[in-house]
Amino acid sequence: MSYDLQFFYVWQNLDKLGQGLVVSLELTGLANLIGLTLGFGVALLLRAKSALLRAPAAAMVEVFRCTPVLVQVVWFFYCVPILFNLFIDPMVMGVLALGVNLAAFNAEGYRAAIQSVPREQYDACAALGLTGWTRIRHVILPHALRAALPVLMTNGITIFQQSALVALVAIPDLMYAGKMLATETYRPIETYTVVAAIYFAISAPVSLIVQRIEARFDRVQA
Amino acid sequence: MMHFDPMVPFKYWDALLIGLWMSLRLTLICLALGIALGFLTSQARRSRFMPLRALATFYVELFRGTPVLIQLFWIFYCLPLLLGFEPGNFASAVVALTLYAGAITSETFRASLKSIPREQYDTCRALGITGMSLALWVVLPQALLRAIPTLLSNAVALFKESALISAVGMADLMFIGSSISNRTGRPVEMLTAIAVIYFAVAFPLTRIVGRVEARILRRLAV
Amino acid sequence: MAQDKLLKIHNLHKSYGDLEIFKGLTLSMDRGDRLVIIGPSGGGKSTLLRIVMGLEDIVGGDIYMDGKPYILRDGAKTKIDRKLQARVGMVFQHYTLFPHLDILRNLTLAPVKTRGMSRAEAEEKAMGLLTRFGLDAKAHAYPSQLSGGQKQRVAIARALMLDPDLLLFDEVTSALDPELVAEVEAVMMELAEAGMPMMIVTHDMHFARNIASRVVFAAGGVVVEDGPPEQVLDAPQVARTREFVERVFAKKR
Repeated sequence: MSYDLQFFYVWQNLDKLGQGLVVSLELTGLANLIGLTLGFGVALLLRAKSALLRAPAAAMVEVFRCTPVLVQVVWFFYCVPILFNLFIDPMVMGVLALGVNLAAFNAEGYRAAIQSVPREQYDACAALGLTGWTRIRHVILPHALRAALPVLMTNGITIFQQSALVALVAIPDLMYAGKMLATETYRPIETYTVVAAIYFAISAPVSLIVQRIEARFDRVQA
Repeated sequence: MMHFDPMVPFKYWDALLIGLWMSLRLTLICLALGIALGFLTSQARRSRFMPLRALATFYVELFRGTPVLIQLFWIFYCLPLLLGFEPGNFASAVVALTLYAGAITSETFRASLKSIPREQYDTCRALGITGMSLALWVVLPQALLRAIPTLLSNAVALFKESALISAVGMADLMFIGSSISNRTGRPVEMLTAIAVIYFAVAFPLTRIVGRVEARILRRLAV
Repeated sequence: MAQDKLLKIHNLHKSYGDLEIFKGLTLSMDRGDRLVIIGPSGGGKSTLLRIVMGLEDIVGGDIYMDGKPYILRDGAKTKIDRKLQARVGMVFQHYTLFPHLDILRNLTLAPVKTRGMSRAEAEEKAMGLLTRFGLDAKAHAYPSQLSGGQKQRVAIARALMLDPDLLLFDEVTSALDPELVAEVEAVMMELAEAGMPMMIVTHDMHFARNIASRVVFAAGGVVVEDGPPEQVLDAPQVARTREFVERVFAKKR
């Protein structure tokens, strides 16, 4: 291999990558805010008794789970302004696209977690006269949230990785900053290596924590 | 008020079909290669030879911990240097998506190996089934059976991620669809059509996953 | 060598971390013996069977089969004679059939793959055992299609395929619905009448009385009392045994 790696230009422009990273983290944080709240609402709809509530929620979840995120992001950017005759800040658009996508995945996580609460717990609540909100608040929710936690965290960090897609619609995130820098410096390998390392450095600890939590749950159950 | 013409995508059905074929072909090739790579990696992660184990773990964590988009960019720039010649876009895309598929598939096999109950191993020792017989006739068939539903989910995930290759100029469904969208100035019709096509492939597959999973779990419930 | 015991456990020590399970347990059995082991839960009854099967490491002591060393503590390692291990069979609480194989293949896998028996010979033998246990119609069914009682009878047949000289039963009816217990116990009684040496852990005291030639009460890591069922279950000589037996029978009523 005759190529001679030079990271000098990348180090010199690390601040540009830093600015991009801030944007990526903002996108991720806000998308998670939407994902955690809206996702829970959608999960409740998924379990509604009325099919009129259930059907649209299920349709939303399936549409977002069964199409590429890239298609979703591009669709949001091009179609929302036309359809609703409204031009919002690209950043807001990015947050919305990623947030709604995350909500669909989290809804499924919440739903599975609620379903994982053993029937016996409901029976026990009935036998003890615990009903309505008390039952949800003190028995079902603690159980379900604990079961959902690893999934929600995994989804949350996945959206950090997926946020790289908004670079393709010119939001100045970490990926976008990397692309710019790679072109400016003619050093794509070094630049993308550093960018990948940054993404990895943030994702890896979270997935490590998830593994720990899952291992602990496994132990408790065994 | 905008005027929408839902017939627009139908005018370009042949181009879209060519794009879809590219997406499917890439998905199938990378899935097959990824399953082989994933199985080998899952075995390497159980190896007694520490450096091999560490390398396999690093590979998996790296490809699960960085955006697929950056993996794709990185490989497109690095592969020619590593190989000393230009391998072409298709080969680069195959390498990139195969590495990603291998990483997620190795986790699938790891989980399915872990899910074989300890008692199966005890029983085999009591029956004198050890070594290669144990691996070949008891562990491998059960691990494969348990992995099938997740392998199908991986196929769906890979199909969706394959949309990213449009970002490096490969003429897949996403690329062709958005090119037509740009040229005709009909983003709402065209982008929606792309989403519908992706959905039409992915959604039935996710339904099958549920069915297959239920069947396998019934068979393995002992 | 005719007077050599089938199995002789001498001064067995076993612990899990700080938890001492056996503190010098000594026990032996003859060819004609059907040993039922009773004792408080957590007292290591199942562990004893697992040790005799060669599934567990031991901390100290030794086990002989027909006068030959079977399991020994050698320095820091537990040494198990694989030839002697092959003469022991075991049936587990949760059947542990191979879910991916049909019943016939469950029975033939071990003899064909590890004993070099021909497939035809193994299948003939398996069909013989299945017919004997009234399961021949299920030969091509999968484990998930069988009831718990049927699965456990298959598990017993699978163990018999290897012609063991000693068969271990670890709470084989504990996971079964009450109405399915009898069919499994009937198979075990049939084996007992055919002279199969067995070591049995069970919670069913009535079954213990019926099948046992000897009952062993193990508690606190040692054998507390060892004798015929009429003695240990009906007229225990040791206070600790009496206390246990009374409590168990009181619970039944």
